Amino acid sequence: MIIEFIAMNGYGLYVWLSFSTVFISCALFYLKTKKTLKKYENDFLAELHNLSKNEKNKALETSKVAQQLLATNSKMN
Amino acid sequence: MFKFLSSSNIYYLIQKLINFINSIFFLILIIGLTFALVLSPPDYVQGDSVRIMYVHVPAAWLGLACFSLITLLSILNFIFKIKNFYFINKSIAPIGLLFTCLAIITGSLWGQPTWGTWWAWDARLTSMLVLMLFYVFYILTFKLLHREELIVKVSSIVAIIGSINLPIIKYSVEWWATLHQPASIKIVGSSSIHPAMLLPLLVMLLVFLLYGALIFLMKYKTEIIRIKKKNIKRI
Repeated sequence: MIIEFIAMNGYGLYVWLSFSTVFISCALFYLKTKKTLKKYENDFLAELHNLSKNEKNKALETSKVAQQLLATNSKMN
Repeated sequence: MFKFLSSSNIYYLIQKLINFINSIFFLILIIGLTFALVLSPPDYVQGDSVRIMYVHVPAAWLGLACFSLITLLSILNFIFKIKNFYFINKSIAPIGLLFTCLAIITGSLWGQPTWGTWWAWDARLTSMLVLMLFYVFYILTFKLLHREELIVKVSSIVAIIGSINLPIIKYSVEWWATLHQPASIKIVGSSSIHPAMLLPLLVMLLVFLLYGALIFLMKYKTEIIRIKKKNIKRI
C-alpha cells in the first residue's frame, strides 16, 4: 500500500519532485529571511549597547521598537 | 488612526501576527497535504499527476497577485509619495519571484507526463517567464540603485510596464491556441472543477497565503529595524 502511494500510478517521480521542490525552496527561503532578520536585530542591539547611558535612555524613550527589541532580547537571555 | 499606523505600533502588530501564523501554520499545512496527497481523487484523464495542481496553481495565483499589488502600490506611491508602500513593495517582490519560479518549475514537472514535454514556447508559459523576468528587473533596481528617489521612479516604471503582461497571462489561454488548459475556476460564473478537488486546492492556497504573509512580515520587520538603526546613529 505504501509503495502504491509512493508510486502514484507511475506519476510518483513528478508529484514528489514537485512537492519536494516547493517545500525545500520555501524552507530555504524562510531560513534565509529569518537569518537576515536576526542579523539586523543583533546589529541594532549592538548599536544600542555602544551608546552612552544618556544616549541609550534617549533612544529608548523615543523608539518603541528599541524598547520592544531590548525586551525580547532580555526575555530570550 | 495615523498614530496607530506608526512604525512602533506596526512593529508590535507584526510580532503578534508572526506568532499567530507560526501557531497555526503547521496544522493547516498537514491538513492541506493530507487532502492533496491522500484524500483527493485522481483525475480521470491525468491520473495522479493532477496532484501537482495543488502546489502549481496557488504558486501561480500568488505570483500574479504579488505583482498586481506591487503595481497598485507603485502607482499610489508615485502619486501620493507614501514611503511605507516602498518598503511593502520591497518586501513583497522576493516572495512574488519565489512563487512565480515555483509555478514555472512545477508546471514543467506537470507538463512532462501530461503534454510529453518539459517546456513549450506556449503563450501562457512564455508570459509567465516574462513575469519572472520583470520580477528580476524589479528586484535588481533595489540592489543596483542607491538613491531612494531614483529607486522609486525606476521600480515603479518597471512595475507599470510589467503590469501590461498580467492580462496577457490571464487571457493567453483564450486569445491563443495553447497547450495550457483554460481556467477551471472562475470568480464569476460556474467552475468546472469538482468540489473534491476544489477543497484541497483552497486549503493549499491558504497554506501558501500564510507562508507568503509570514515571509512578508519578517521582511517588513527587517526593513523597520534597518530604518530605526539608521535613526539611532543620528542620536
